[in-house]
Amino acid sequence: MVAAAMLAAALAFGQAAQVPDAAQFVGPPQGRPLAGEELKERTQYIGGLLRCPVCQGLSVSDSPAEMAVNMKKQVGELLARGYTEEQILQYFEHSYGQFVLLKPKFQGVNALVWLLPVIVLVLGAAVVFMKMRKLAQPSVAAAPAPPAPAEDPYVARVREMVGGGK
Amino acid sequence: MNATLGRTIILASLLVSTAGAIIAFAAGRTRSREGLKWAQRFAYAFAFLMIAATAVMEYALLTHDFSVGYVAQVGSRTVPVWVTIVSLWSSLEGSILFWGLILGIYIGIATWFTRNDYHEYMPDAIGVWLASAAFFSFLIAGPANPFLSVANPPLDGPGPNPLLQNHYLMAIHPPFLYLGYVGMTIPFGMACAALIKGRLGHGFLKPLRESLMLPWIFLTISIMLGGWWAYEVLGWGGYWAWDPVENASLLPWLTGTAALHSMVVLERRGILKGWTITLIQATFLLVILGTFMTRSGVFNSVHSFTQSSIGPTILGFLAAALVFTIALLATRIDLLESEGRLEGGVTREGMFLFNNLLFVLLTFTVLIGTVFPLVVEAINGKQMSVGRPYFDRMVVPVGAALLFLIGIGPALPWGRATRAQIRRALLPPIGGAILVSGIGFALGVRNPWTLLTLAFGGYAAQVTLTEMWLPLVQRLKRGDSFGEALVDANLGRGRRRFASYVVHAAAIVVIVAIAVSSTMRSDVELQMTRGQATTVAGYTVTLLGVEERAEPHRMSTVAKFTVAKNGAQRAVLEPRMNQYMAMREPIGSPDVYTTAGGDLYLSLMNVDIARQSVGVHVINTPMVVWIWISVIMMGIGGLAALIPHRRTAVTNYTPVVEPATPRYVKPEEVTAS
Repeated sequence: MVAAAMLAAALAFGQAAQVPDAAQFVGPPQGRPLAGEELKERTQYIGGLLRCPVCQGLSVSDSPAEMAVNMKKQVGELLARGYTEEQILQYFEHSYGQFVLLKPKFQGVNALVWLLPVIVLVLGAAVVFMKMRKLAQPSVAAAPAPPAPAEDPYVARVREMVGGGK
Repeated sequence: MNATLGRTIILASLLVSTAGAIIAFAAGRTRSREGLKWAQRFAYAFAFLMIAATAVMEYALLTHDFSVGYVAQVGSRTVPVWVTIVSLWSSLEGSILFWGLILGIYIGIATWFTRNDYHEYMPDAIGVWLASAAFFSFLIAGPANPFLSVANPPLDGPGPNPLLQNHYLMAIHPPFLYLGYVGMTIPFGMACAALIKGRLGHGFLKPLRESLMLPWIFLTISIMLGGWWAYEVLGWGGYWAWDPVENASLLPWLTGTAALHSMVVLERRGILKGWTITLIQATFLLVILGTFMTRSGVFNSVHSFTQSSIGPTILGFLAAALVFTIALLATRIDLLESEGRLEGGVTREGMFLFNNLLFVLLTFTVLIGTVFPLVVEAINGKQMSVGRPYFDRMVVPVGAALLFLIGIGPALPWGRATRAQIRRALLPPIGGAILVSGIGFALGVRNPWTLLTLAFGGYAAQVTLTEMWLPLVQRLKRGDSFGEALVDANLGRGRRRFASYVVHAAAIVVIVAIAVSSTMRSDVELQMTRGQATTVAGYTVTLLGVEERAEPHRMSTVAKFTVAKNGAQRAVLEPRMNQYMAMREPIGSPDVYTTAGGDLYLSLMNVDIARQSVGVHVINTPMVVWIWISVIMMGIGGLAALIPHRRTAVTNYTPVVEPATPRYVKPEEVTAS
């Protein structure tokens, strides 16, 4: 709870947050230092990519938990020092494991979670087109249907009621 | 006493449902009318027993009979009566009993409505319903028995999970969800019956569609209620986090929605029979999967209650249902013959196929994203996460494509159309697209995805509104009185059509509201002391003070704010922290000032009563209220499609074969009368 106030203070006055080991794990900053509105926006965005380790699936940006607030503060500090998105994600992955990344990396088994939907889209589209072709052929057994009587279901029901029709 | 009575009733229901299922399937094989009669009686008996068992449990809860296991677990003398009543679904055992109750009511009503019709299909349908009923009776009788006797009854109980006591929506959201979830058993049984018989006649489509539509309405609204609850209670200012339990409710909704659409093509064209059946069956299987995900504790959430032993049992049921369904589909789907055919791709039928493709893609994506971490952990033991950024990236484009289809689908004529017709149908709504995205741009929308959504939404809105009122206008032109035309075009014969456009219109608003509210939100975190004022998004927010309030079942720390705009006070907001006896951490309860344009959302982060100081998260989110309103409109539209119109209407019309471009012909004799 105090952390929330500290975050506000840190963001407002650029006060240093506790990320002493960043350089050790991800090297020197590779981007430009951010400040002001841009810093706030990027902090919010990158916080949204990180999972709050003590919550039920909420991101660091969304969670009111103390730990999340602390992590968000660290993100803000790293951005203010000029670390890039990639470096920051790498830093947190180093500290908490890949569990902390809400957006899985396109790497190893995890690539499947990105690829499978695309495969389904391609296969599905192929099936739809084939189905369309097949359905567009007049059916072999039945008498060639007259240019589909675009019949109101209501009408069909009336016809069924009076027992005639097809 | 209550415990013994409850156990007896549950054992009877297990017996009745098992025997009933066997009789029903036998009647289906032998086509015996007498057998069907008996199956119906067993179905009514199951419904009655479930109502009786629930009545016993509610009685035990209300009289604080702590000798009943479930009451000892969730009951409390200090909580308000409404909390006691809804305690039925506040923990695992009671919630499964509640499932049984809803299933009983659904089976009873569905059996009643079909009692004199569809003799060919009903025995097998009742058989499937009662088989599912037998499984849930078994769960209630065994692994999740709420009627266990307590040897030394305590004088008082702990009360239900505080999160559930915290908001009245908790009294509404679970019943709606159950009505949606459990109700999917009914169309599933009918779909299985059609497969078993190897036939799906036109006459059977009506009960199939209606039994899918009803739970779909409840599911639609319950998903929204869940989001609303999260918004009102969890305090982070959002309504959807792509949490596994949220996804679990969304998955069957997606396939159910796809099935409702493919059914329209089936009704008009006689094609996609097997496909529609498959979607309905997938919907039920996803319901069971969702139940497994939320109840077994594989995902940590409010819904999983305690780590329980029913997980493997539900998984077993899911496996059995899956094998049964696949075996049926594999051996029998070819028996369902297409009666009609499709004409070309750029037709309304074609758009329905794309709609189905996109809904299935969404289902698959959400399913993969939800279960992928489990699968990966099972395979290589590494924990990983698939969260909101993934779903946003994957789902938003598909959602935009669906919105696009809501636009062009209804604009296109049924059957083959000429290029000129297509041009005439598709070009004018571009005006709506430009208008709406232009308004958005003028109001400050700059995010390209949001602008695209607004453009698609404007396009779809123009098409939908045109389609809604076109029949009315046509009839007015023919000289009908306004009242007559309105009743005729939108409330009588054309009501199902009109209702579907009401649902579409509401869906457009929902998608636009989601896009705008998720990309246009602004927030600030502040530390304020008494008397201090600050200006956020044009509102002046002043802290009046902090106080403590005691209630029998909780202590609340309440911060009182006034919200003013242009010097005039608009609202008094009281975000609070509720401390329940049973919980260590307080639960924050935000407070919201809602306007048509947007919400001002105040959530407490920390409180210091002595210093009269609070940390508050102020969030300004546009358009949120439109999500709740429009989803309710979707439900109302669905209901309107369900209400049968008077049979007498039959005599008033001669069948009109609709040409490629919709024209609304009114028979002469009606104008004469």
